[in-house]
Amino acid sequence: MHLTGYFLQRLIRGLVTFWFAVTVTFFLVRLLPGDPVLAVAAPGMTEEIRQTQLQQFGLDRPLLVQYFAYLRELVQGNLGVSFLRSQPVSQVLMERLPWTLLLTGSALLLTVILGVPLGVLAATRARGWVDQVVQITGVVGQSLFVPSLGILLLYTLGLMLGWFPIGGAVKSGLTGFSYYLSVLHHLILPCFTLVLAQLASYVLTLRATLIEALGEEYCDLARAKGTRENKVIWKHALRNALLPTTTLIGLQIGFLVGGAVLTETIYAYPGVGRAIYEAVGQLDFPVLQGAFVLLAATVVIANLVTDIAYGFLDPRVRA
Amino acid sequence: MTMTNTSTTAPTLPPADLKPAQRTWRAFRRNPLGMGSAAVILLMVLVALIAPLLAEFPSGYGIEILMPPSAAHPFGTDDLGRDVLAQVIWGTRISMIIGFASSFLAILIGVALGILAAYAKRLDAPISMLVDVSLALPVLPLMILVAALVGPSVTTLVVVIALFSWPEVTRIVRSQALSVTRLPYVDAARTIGGSHFWIMTRHLLPAVAPIIVVSVVLTASRAVMSEAGLSFLGLGDPESWSWGKILFNAQRSGALTVAWWCTLFPSLAILLLVVSSTLVSIAYNDARNPKTREN
Repeated sequence: MHLTGYFLQRLIRGLVTFWFAVTVTFFLVRLLPGDPVLAVAAPGMTEEIRQTQLQQFGLDRPLLVQYFAYLRELVQGNLGVSFLRSQPVSQVLMERLPWTLLLTGSALLLTVILGVPLGVLAATRARGWVDQVVQITGVVGQSLFVPSLGILLLYTLGLMLGWFPIGGAVKSGLTGFSYYLSVLHHLILPCFTLVLAQLASYVLTLRATLIEALGEEYCDLARAKGTRENKVIWKHALRNALLPTTTLIGLQIGFLVGGAVLTETIYAYPGVGRAIYEAVGQLDFPVLQGAFVLLAATVVIANLVTDIAYGFLDPRVRA
Repeated sequence: MTMTNTSTTAPTLPPADLKPAQRTWRAFRRNPLGMGSAAVILLMVLVALIAPLLAEFPSGYGIEILMPPSAAHPFGTDDLGRDVLAQVIWGTRISMIIGFASSFLAILIGVALGILAAYAKRLDAPISMLVDVSLALPVLPLMILVAALVGPSVTTLVVVIALFSWPEVTRIVRSQALSVTRLPYVDAARTIGGSHFWIMTRHLLPAVAPIIVVSVVLTASRAVMSEAGLSFLGLGDPESWSWGKILFNAQRSGALTVAWWCTLFPSLAILLLVVSSTLVSIAYNDARNPKTREN
């Protein structure tokens, strides 16, 4: 019963967040200094073309009328037209979204797979040398600038050692199993760039909460009952320590998407982020605006998934 | 050096009438990592200030293209033969200006809204909602959109970064100020007829001041990263150098695949600044906390 209420509340919150994102972009684009026509058409047009564009896109109508028209189009999945490719923005971006989802999704999964054992290791050896190393690496890791890290990996592992391809997402002309192998091969460097850039925050958060949990009375009780320390750590303390980490995953997804934009730029990875980079160079505003709306939607959905996971992990939500 | 200091001063307990700020400074001074990081930041500020004395503004073309580090060019040259060291030095200036200016703006907005949310119950819900919603959104793509629309310049970058960095500050300030608004002295101030503005500026603001100190450092270092990110994507000020822009040039010209020095040195500059900022704020927090400081 309560779980449905919780999910409903989260769903509404997600919808509000998305509505806010859409509204903010709409008004930013139109109220900021700069020609609103630029948001729908190529820069450097003649005055005559500008006027027709104003009319064609309804930019001469009152702002609120435009706003509701924009929302109506959005609900139907219409994000405008990329003037550069003369293609609907939604089509341009939807071709690329799967790559971004693959990249960010695998990075998130790998971060958790690596982050949990590392956090446990540091917490259970608090103040030992493993912990010291984890803490120092953690501070440096949190300070890494994603493009710097990407360039470093690309230069060393991709160029000097030649272990990995340095750009693109897949070799053309492959089918079947070798296609998927090539996809995986191209994925490794960008994925690791993102993992290394965000691993530190997870490990440090998990370490801090786990140390706190291990000092709690229920852990003492478990030990007093004769439970092995390993079981106390993995069964009792970790379950509770994972809750703040789950919250962090939700909070960090926005950062992850930003990192993906930078990473895709470096590795010429054909995702939404690379589309943003190309659109910046060409001042293709419809694509920029559509990409933000699409990424915001992705983040909102990912957050919703984390919230649902949280609901299942935390018995207090169910109670 | 710090070690010997500690051993000579440690036996004498600090006098009890020391002000909290002095106690913090005493403890901070003994932390070699914190002091070292503070020195690095000050050095970078100095480089930013006297950049014109250290190197000529890198412009035009040189004959020596993509030369590795040498005596004449300690950081090598880029694809147009410009000295990379000079670019990093001048980049320090812009990165610092943007870091400090946008963090100042973000702190101003963030602290004002944070205190307001904690003090005015009616404003708490909308402000908190706004903060939660903004923190959930992917900020970089939004900054890209706005910066591209307004047109790249130093002012644009400062405003755009500040505009999307304040929610973090508001969240921290609000939670700290919230615990203070429940303290008896705030009630007392209200009872004797203190105006809302007076209570907020005289009682709540000093209570959150230590948090603001940490926020300034961390927000500034994050702002430097945001600036580098935007510049790397080609949204940097076309007239000036920044660390991100050096990376952008290397990426666009393809120099990053042949000349490691074009990307290594600006990357190290960013890393050094951000690590130092983090360490300074950790050291400051430790020094301020009576539990972690030793006296």
